[in-house]
Amino acid sequence: MLILQLLVSGIQTGAIYALTAAGFALIFGATRIFHVAHGATFALAGYAFVGLVNGGFGWPLACLGALVLAVAFGLAMDRFVYRPIQRHEGSFFTVFVAAFGVTIMVQSLIEIGFGRSFAAVSTPLTRAHQLLPGLYVAEVFWVAVAAALVLFAAVTLFLERTRLGIGLRALSENPELLRAYGLSARRLSMIAFGLGSALAVPGAVLTAITTGLQPSISAQVMLVSLAASVVGGIGSLRGAALAGLLLGVVENLVVSVLDTQWSSAAGFVVLFAFILFRPSGLFGRAVAR
Amino acid sequence: MLTRRQTLAAAMAAPVAVPLAAPRLARAQQGQPYVVGTLFPMAGPNAEYGGVFTAGVQMALDHIAADRMLGRPVELRAQDSQGTPQGGATGMTKLASVDRANYVLVGFTGVSKAAAPIAARAKVPMVNGGGVGPDLAGLSPYFWNVIPLVNLEVRALLPWLGRSGLKKIALIYVDDPFGNAILAELRRGLPEVGASLVGTFSVPPGSQQFAAVAAKVRDAGADAVYFASYGAQQSQIIKQLRDNGVSQQLLTYSGATLASVAALPEAEGLVFTRQAADWSSDDPVTKRFVTDWRAKHGGDPGSYHQNYYNGTRLFALLAQGLEKQNRPVDGDGLRAELLRVREFAFVGGKASFDDQGCVTMPIEVNKLQGGQYVRLS
Repeated sequence: MLILQLLVSGIQTGAIYALTAAGFALIFGATRIFHVAHGATFALAGYAFVGLVNGGFGWPLACLGALVLAVAFGLAMDRFVYRPIQRHEGSFFTVFVAAFGVTIMVQSLIEIGFGRSFAAVSTPLTRAHQLLPGLYVAEVFWVAVAAALVLFAAVTLFLERTRLGIGLRALSENPELLRAYGLSARRLSMIAFGLGSALAVPGAVLTAITTGLQPSISAQVMLVSLAASVVGGIGSLRGAALAGLLLGVVENLVVSVLDTQWSSAAGFVVLFAFILFRPSGLFGRAVAR
Repeated sequence: MLTRRQTLAAAMAAPVAVPLAAPRLARAQQGQPYVVGTLFPMAGPNAEYGGVFTAGVQMALDHIAADRMLGRPVELRAQDSQGTPQGGATGMTKLASVDRANYVLVGFTGVSKAAAPIAARAKVPMVNGGGVGPDLAGLSPYFWNVIPLVNLEVRALLPWLGRSGLKKIALIYVDDPFGNAILAELRRGLPEVGASLVGTFSVPPGSQQFAAVAAKVRDAGADAVYFASYGAQQSQIIKQLRDNGVSQQLLTYSGATLASVAALPEAEGLVFTRQAADWSSDDPVTKRFVTDWRAKHGGDPGSYHQNYYNGTRLFALLAQGLEKQNRPVDGDGLRAELLRVREFAFVGGKASFDDQGCVTMPIEVNKLQGGQYVRLS
């Protein structure tokens, strides 16, 4: 029963990881911008949710507030940080440093606004009940799994069946060619940042009610997002989602055979294994040089 | 041979010349502020402690300035230890070499152990009011503790455990010198009260996911769960244990005396040890501290506020003693003065230091009820 319990915990953690990583993968896949500030988007959304709930607003309004803030921040990063850099030189390093700087700034602002301590929303949704002898499942498990499935289905449909979605997928390949089809690369980039940032919100809200938040959570979010993106295949939304799930399950299952100490490290063993034996990831394309 | 005029001139100049003939160091000291450094985590998952520690230091500095305890002003220089040994070593190097700190306040076991050799080389006294690893005792001649170390806290909990009938204890501990010290102390002490460790679960300091640990803890069939962690991780452990069906009694040490833990609904009923604090005491130092604290912060102070107030006050008392003796306020002087005086009027009453520079204070067992600390024993 311990294995089954760990599997259930792993699926819940993995669903949240998948939601966390998906936004980063979508933005990177479409724009090839290494959006380190995605962690800051996540933190802002999470803290906005906590702040609004603690401020007496209902959950729907709090989620909406988190969504608006996350999307606004993503769009602002694209418009006021990345675009000016790309207009001049657009080097990877400059983009990284700028995004990293903004992340630190956001962390400081959160510390000023919410303090430096742990923040969470307590809810009966996260209280596990005994489903079978020795197997405890909380309602949030079903919420996390359902949210992940519905969102990925919706985003996949959008990317594969709509003109804008196909445009987003083409954006990283040939922005010039997009113009021939009447699509604007700038507008598509905005959509990528808006959608990618919106995708961070469910993960942020679920994290706020399960593990809780701290101002420095951006770094952890980026670590998970990067690991999932590499394991899933750089730029692949489907890959990042599956890899997030895989990392969550591995982190939990590994404690059935190893000390609990190795839980976090296990995910990174998976990452190294992929880098060594399948560098293109689960759904990435191998490129010959 | 002196003429009468020369003798008269010398006699008239004497009142001016004597102070000028005082030790050069004493003259050099005038006007230059003493530098008190802090090496606290100011960012990252343990940053809440940095704010708490600093608040205690600042109130002490306010009182030192108001009382004009010292002949020179005291300047505060802060370095962010990030709560890590690497951050501690870097921060201490800056405090000793760049800021030229006379005295440094520090917290966290790992930070202290990394920074202490650097402070010892520079002969800068370090005073710990937050780290509780037992190996902080006697870390260096210039490293002193104004907080009872955790081995004493565990020992204070054992009689209560024996009386409460909690025999099977599971331990979740951070795999660092502090966590391993608690593991060793529980292994040694639990059999003395007829209890035992039925499961030990180590976690890395930065870990945030504890659902799997909760599953293992449930599987161990413990009567109570002791967790040895710090910072935001404590709240995450409490919340995730409760959320994942661990309903057993939770136990911990004074690290949980944080506002964020007290505010957590899942922490209700948490039993923890901390140094005894009687805020209704008539002792003048305690009374002034509590009155001013309540006026400034609108609530009761905590143990960490008390410790860092005492740590900063200790500097003022030692430096004041040295100034009176017209001796230089340096590392050797401060240490000699500490060992000479030994007993000081602190918040909480008289406190005495042993040869290793460790303070002795009573410890109590508390329970968290409705966000308030209720004394059990």
